[in-house]
Order: sequence, then structure tokens, then C-alpha cells
Amino acid sequence: MAFSIPRHRPDFWTWITISIIAVLCILLILPILRVLTLGFVDPDTGSLTLGNFIEVFTRNYYLNGLKNTLFVGVLGTLGACLIGIPLAFFTTRFLIRGKTLISTLAILVLVSPPFISAYAWIMMMGSNGVITNFFGGIGINIPTIYGAHGIILVFSLKFFPFIFLMTQTALNAVNKSFEDAAENLGCSPWQRFVKVTLPLVFPAVSTGAIICFVLSIADFGTPAILGRGFRTLSTIALSAYRSELGGPPTMAVTVSILMMAISMIALVAQRRILANRRYASSLTNLPVAVKLTGWKNAAVHFFSHGIVFLAMLPSAVVVYTSFLKTKGPVFVGGFGLESYERIWRDAPDAIYNSFLFALIAVTFITITSGLISYVIVRRDTKAAAAIDFLMMVPYLVPGVVMAIGFVTVFRNGMPNFFGPAVLLVMIYFIRRLPYGVRSTTSSLRQIKPSLEEAAVNLGATPLGAFVKITVPLIFPGIVVGALMSFITAINELSSTLILYDAGTITMPVKVYVAVLDGEFGLAAALSTILLLSTGACVYAVFRFAENRNSAFI
Amino acid sequence: MATVEISGLRKLYGDVVALSDISISIPSGTFYTLLGPSGCGKTTLLRTIAGFHQQSAGRITIDGSSIEHLPAHRRDVAMVFQDYAVFPHLSVRDNVAFGLKQRRIPAKEITRQVEEVLEVVELGKFVDRMPHELSGGQQQRVGLARAIVVRPKVLLMDEPLSNLDARLRVDLRAELRRIQRDLGITTIYVTHDQEEALAMSDVVCVMEGGIIQQAATPLDVYLRPSNRFVASFVGANNFLQVGNFKGESVLKCCGGSVSQHLPADPAGPVVCALRPEDISVKVGEDPSSLLNTEISIPVQIKEVSFVGREMEIFATTDNGEALKAVGRSDSKVIALPIDSRAWFCVERKNLSFFKDSELGERV
Repeated sequence: MAFSIPRHRPDFWTWITISIIAVLCILLILPILRVLTLGFVDPDTGSLTLGNFIEVFTRNYYLNGLKNTLFVGVLGTLGACLIGIPLAFFTTRFLIRGKTLISTLAILVLVSPPFISAYAWIMMMGSNGVITNFFGGIGINIPTIYGAHGIILVFSLKFFPFIFLMTQTALNAVNKSFEDAAENLGCSPWQRFVKVTLPLVFPAVSTGAIICFVLSIADFGTPAILGRGFRTLSTIALSAYRSELGGPPTMAVTVSILMMAISMIALVAQRRILANRRYASSLTNLPVAVKLTGWKNAAVHFFSHGIVFLAMLPSAVVVYTSFLKTKGPVFVGGFGLESYERIWRDAPDAIYNSFLFALIAVTFITITSGLISYVIVRRDTKAAAAIDFLMMVPYLVPGVVMAIGFVTVFRNGMPNFFGPAVLLVMIYFIRRLPYGVRSTTSSLRQIKPSLEEAAVNLGATPLGAFVKITVPLIFPGIVVGALMSFITAINELSSTLILYDAGTITMPVKVYVAVLDGEFGLAAALSTILLLSTGACVYAVFRFAENRNSAFI
Repeated sequence: MATVEISGLRKLYGDVVALSDISISIPSGTFYTLLGPSGCGKTTLLRTIAGFHQQSAGRITIDGSSIEHLPAHRRDVAMVFQDYAVFPHLSVRDNVAFGLKQRRIPAKEITRQVEEVLEVVELGKFVDRMPHELSGGQQQRVGLARAIVVRPKVLLMDEPLSNLDARLRVDLRAELRRIQRDLGITTIYVTHDQEEALAMSDVVCVMEGGIIQQAATPLDVYLRPSNRFVASFVGANNFLQVGNFKGESVLKCCGGSVSQHLPADPAGPVVCALRPEDISVKVGEDPSSLLNTEISIPVQIKEVSFVGREMEIFATTDNGEALKAVGRSDSKVIALPIDSRAWFCVERKNLSFFKDSELGERV
């Protein structure tokens, strides 16, 4: 073919695509690029250097942080697998009473913020915790929750629902004939599980594991609350940022790059491993759940319910604590509403700000994600593919890193134009946008493109067809996406900690500060409000989503 | 009622040619069918006319005014979709009213026209149903009503019957044709089903490789295919190698002279096409001496399958070319053992000749 370029008439969606890319460039690519470049610049001379990385890899302070991060990340993920895989297997292959309750509780665990469970564990097993004191009273000194083992425990109990829900979905899609064939060929049930079932669900397990790992690396609240000298990269990044205030945040940025690199390497490695493992399976022979009897039945029930009970325990403790009678920071015995009165006195602005920022961000997310989904699903262009790829990036960039990027782009050099409130709304928007996009995208994929074409053919403009036909049809997906982004936005801690000021404090920050000050009653009451809002949204998602579980993972 | 003129239309996807210099002229009121295998460009052509694809070059005019630069929503060509594309969240009434509302027609007038058109497609009783309460055939009637109610200049139909089961397809085929005739609306119809194309159309346009192979009446396309592709795609056909023996064209398989009228040297090899239904099967003596208007080919029977109304006979010639014949069931032929000898006889006037290539033209 000779030199021929097909002409393309720019239409409504071309302009939308351009606008989306522009927004993503400013809010996503620019902050990340600034983080990347600052890491390679000498803060004193301004010249290009690898010195910052040499410092990170030679000083024990940073090296330990790196080791600690990987240590709790890997062991936390492993713990989540050890809990999540058996739970998924039990609930799909055996008849278990209260199966819906188990997955509902697992979803509640999944959406509640980790820092709340971290501090609830302090109330149970901290130096002055209920359990610690109980055993101390009868003369047994049990180890406290502080340090690496506590963080690993919290991560395992917090992140196992990802593994559980993904593996459960995969196990439900394994053709039973495979397992029958294995048994027919002489496998014992255990051999069958290890040699056939587990390899078949490996893609799902590893995807769940990679989510756990990335979230563990990024998590700031848990190591900050439970660490007590055990520092991970996210807490180091925040302290470095604070000590560098006034100058360029060079070391904070260098540590941030390291965190992003770990997440990227983990993701790429998982993709490489998965590349050759695509199992097509027809679902002619659905898996069936068998009824166990005797001690096996009891053990399986005990494990399944015990795990979700243990994982829900922190939330229950928080709610319980919030109703204890307090005098200042001290619990004085009996029940009372003092903690809530104190919120009313000390922290109404935190509640107001949290809802305000989250709602504004979610409004923008809802509108934008509808448009982005349309471009991703319907437009077969390189730009659409690029947007699709970019929607994965916010998952991989820790909140601390993104916030430092925001500061370097929007605060230094642009004095006071972007106030903290605007920055917080913008960062909630960009970090939680993928939740909205993912949900609307999966709805839109089920809508035949011919419906929109029919509308256009009958005289509707492209925008008219989108508003009259597409939006009503993907409405449930839009609502679920809005709810998911709201849940994750209102519980955001790490990036808020970097961007907030006195006038823009939010509930998670207030909880974090209260925990560090030992104000457990106040923290509990605020956490309860957070948990209740989250629970209400989860309930709404259940009402709107076609598939209860897949909305969350 | 409108004439459609398409000239020099081209569509490229990168280096892939989807449509190559399409030029057609459709008189007002014609039922014009684009027929071809999947990937031949027929749907691309239809969607380019609708404005869903942007042409790389060429013009499309309706009643003399060019539309190729107009966006899809301003073309006034109504389309009926293969998957119905009935809006699932709107009632039958609102589906049919959609295009009228876009044209800002008064509400009272919309109600009247919707009810009128639903009577035409025999869905009068279903006006307040939701689409999921309708069968596939009923949904496609809604799709048709929705398209014709806006009185478009041209009606486009993209395999509208292919998602329906066989019985319904035949019924709806006749109904579509009746409605089209009553309205006198210029219609461009896409299908891969040759029977559908032959039964419904005023003109059948056979496409392959983004090129129009032949556009003619159904009878002409069937009886006088313009090239080897059309001969093999429309109806079944057997192709036998033709050779040259002492200046005379002969069938290579049996040395039989096929025609005096074949050009002495058509530049390159030639094949002879004979339709299975034109072959009669004879057993016994060589019958060729009996009738000079007929050729007879000695074959070895490979399989006879009895499919009810007719029988299909598969055989090979002496040089290994495969032949298929179809005929009224005949117990003597059905009883023939495999590998027995027989004669395939065809009248000379039923033979066609093509250059021996995929798109080889008629000689």
C-alpha cells in the first residue's frame, strides 16, 4: 500500500479522549515523573546523580527499612494465603452453614481500613491491652502485639479476603470432571487437591497474592501504629518528607521510587509466571459441595467461622470501646457516650471534611469513569489502550508516594494556588478513579455496541446516545463504582497525612493522631463512624451489584 | 424513496483493503442485497453507508446529495441490526418512538405513528411490553418498526434474520419483502445466506475480497455467474479441468469434447462448471452416443446418501476429480454398491467455463 493515511473526523469522543489524557497527564503522570526525576537530582548542587540511591543502599537505616518492608510484605501475604486458600476450598467444596455470612464478613474486613484493626489489636494485646493484662494478672507474660509479628498478623487477617474471594470464584469455575478424572486415575483427595485443583486456581491465587503484597508494601497506618521502632519504607518516606520540609524532598522521593519499584517488579514477575498458564475450561460439570460428618465437619466449621470471627474482632472491639465511659483519655468503667460527645466537641470538622472531600471526589469520579469506560471499551485506538493501562497505575503507587508527587508538582512553585482541600480532593479523585472505572467498564462490556449505534442511526448525537442509552444501561455499574470509590476515599490515610493542614483534617487522620496520643475512646468513636459509613456502602453495593463478591475484588 | 449512488468507495484498515473501488447505483425502491462470505466487506460497506465507518475515499450520494461527510446521526438511513439492538430499558412504544422523538415530532403524532407502524409489523398488542418479554422474532419486528417509522430515505438491514431459527426466518423473509414492497423503500440488505438473497432481492450483489464480483438479478447471478467465485458461492458447483486436444477443448477426465464455441486459446487453463442438480446418473452402456446435446462422464461411485426428498451422489472421475450430483431419489441408484461404475450426464447448454483461478472470469 502506498502512502495513505485514513482520515479521521474528530467527533465528540475524540475530544473526550483528549481531555481524559490531559487530566491523567496532570494528576497522574506528572506527579510520578516529578518523583522519579527528583530521586536522581542532588539536592544541594542540583546536578544529576545516583548518590541518593547509593545512600539508600549503604545506610543501615534505609537498608533495614527495605528488609523490614519485604519481610512483613512477604510473610503477611503468605499468612493471607494460608488463611484464604483453605477458607475458599472449604466454602466451595464442603457444605458449610452460614456461607453467605462468611463471605459478607470477609468483604467487610476487606473494605475496613487496616489502621483501625492495627490500633484495635493494641487495645487487645498492647502493653496495656485487655488480653495482655488478663494473662499478666494470672502471672503469664505474653508477648505484645508491637513489632514485625504484630504487623504480619494484622496484614494476614486484613488481606486474606482478597485471596479468599478470588480463589473462591476460581474454584467455582473449575470443571468437576478434572477432579473426577484425577480421582479416577488414582489420586487421593489430598493429592487431587495439590496436583489438580490448586494448579488450576493458581492464576487467581497469585493475582490475589500480588494485591496483598502491593497493599502491604504501601500500607502506612499499620507499621506506623504497631511498629515501635520497626520501620518500613512507607514510614521512612513520611519521616524523611517531614524532616526535609522546606527543601526538596529528595530522600522521601528516593525511598518512594524504591517502593514503586518493588510493586512493579512483583507485578511483572507475577505476569511472567502467569503468561503460560491460561486454562480454558467449559463449565459442563459444576463442582458440588459435599457434606462432611463428625470431627471433620466440626473442624472445618470451626476454622471457617473462627477466621472471620478473628478478622472481625478488631472492628467489634472498636465499636465496643466507643461506648465505654471515659474521663479524658482514661476509661473509668461502665458504658457511656462521652467519646461521641468529645467528637462533637473536638472533631466535627474531621467528619465534615471526610464526607465533603470524599463526596466531591466521588462526584467527579462518577462522571469521569462513565466517560473513561466508554473510551476504553468502545474506542479501538492507541489512546484508549493507553488510558486502560494508566488506570492500573494508581493501584501500584503507594499513597505516600503519590502525595509527595502532588506536593512537588502543585505546592512547590505554585504558592497557595492549590490549597490542601483542593489537593486532597484531587488526590482522592486520581487514586480512587480506577475503582469507579473498573466497575463501569465491566458493566459496559456487557452492553452490545449496536444499541448505541441504533440510537445514533435514529438521529441521536453521540452524547445523546451515551446519555439516553448507555448511562441507563450501565447505571448499576456506575453506582457500585461510586460506592467503592467512596469507601476507599473516606478511609484514606497515608496521602492525607502528607497533604492535610489544621483546617482539612479528616477522620482517618484524627483517628491516627488520637491513637498516637493514647486517646483510644475518641479514636474508637470516630472509627465506629467510619465503619458504619463503610458498612452502609457495602450494603448498598450488595443491593446494586449483579455479583456480590466480584464488586469488591 | 430515493436512489443511492456509490462511486469509487474505498476503505482501508492500515494496509488491509476492506473495500476496493466500490461503485454501485441503486434505483429508487429497489431491494438490493449484498451477498458474500464473512470477511468479504459486505457489512463494512453497509456500515460505511450508515456512517459507522469512515471511508478512505469515494462518494456516497442519496438522491444526488452526497452524505459521505455527514456524521452517522444526520444521515437519515435507518438500520435494522443483526442482534436486534432493541433498547432493553425502553418499552416497545418508547423503542419505536425513539427516532421520532429525535426528530422533534409532536407527541400526539408520535403516538399515532407508533401504533400505525406496530400494526404493520403485527405487534399492535405488544405496544406496552418490555423487550425481554418478547421472542427473538418479535424483537426483530420492533427493530424493523423502529427503523421504518422514521420514513428514512434508505433502509439498511444487517443480516436481520440470521439470529432467528430456520422456520421463523422463512416466514419473516416473506413479510419483510411484503412490507418493503408496500412502502416502496429503497433497501440495502446484507446476508451470507444465498437462498435468502435469491428469494428476496431485486438485485443481488456478490462480494469477495472487498470487491464487487457481480451485481445482477437473482436469476442472472445463478444462471450466468460472471466468474468462478460467483459460480461456486451461489448454488453448488462442480469444476472439472479442461484441456486442449488437437485444437479442440476436451474434459481432461474423459477426453470428451465439451464445446465447439470455446475460444481456441483463452490464455491459461480453463475449468468447466456443472451444477449438481443438472447431472443425471445413468448405469450401464455409454449413453453418449444416444444424444449429441449431452456429454457423459464415466465415474466411480464413492457414496450415495439418501436425505429424504433427494439423494446426493459423490463420485470420482478416472483422473481423480471429485464430483457431486443431486437428484430425485432413485432406489436403483441408492442401491449401487461403492466403487461401482456409472455415468454422469449433463446437457451441453448447462455447462459454463471459467478461467482456472479463484476469481477466474467467465469464458
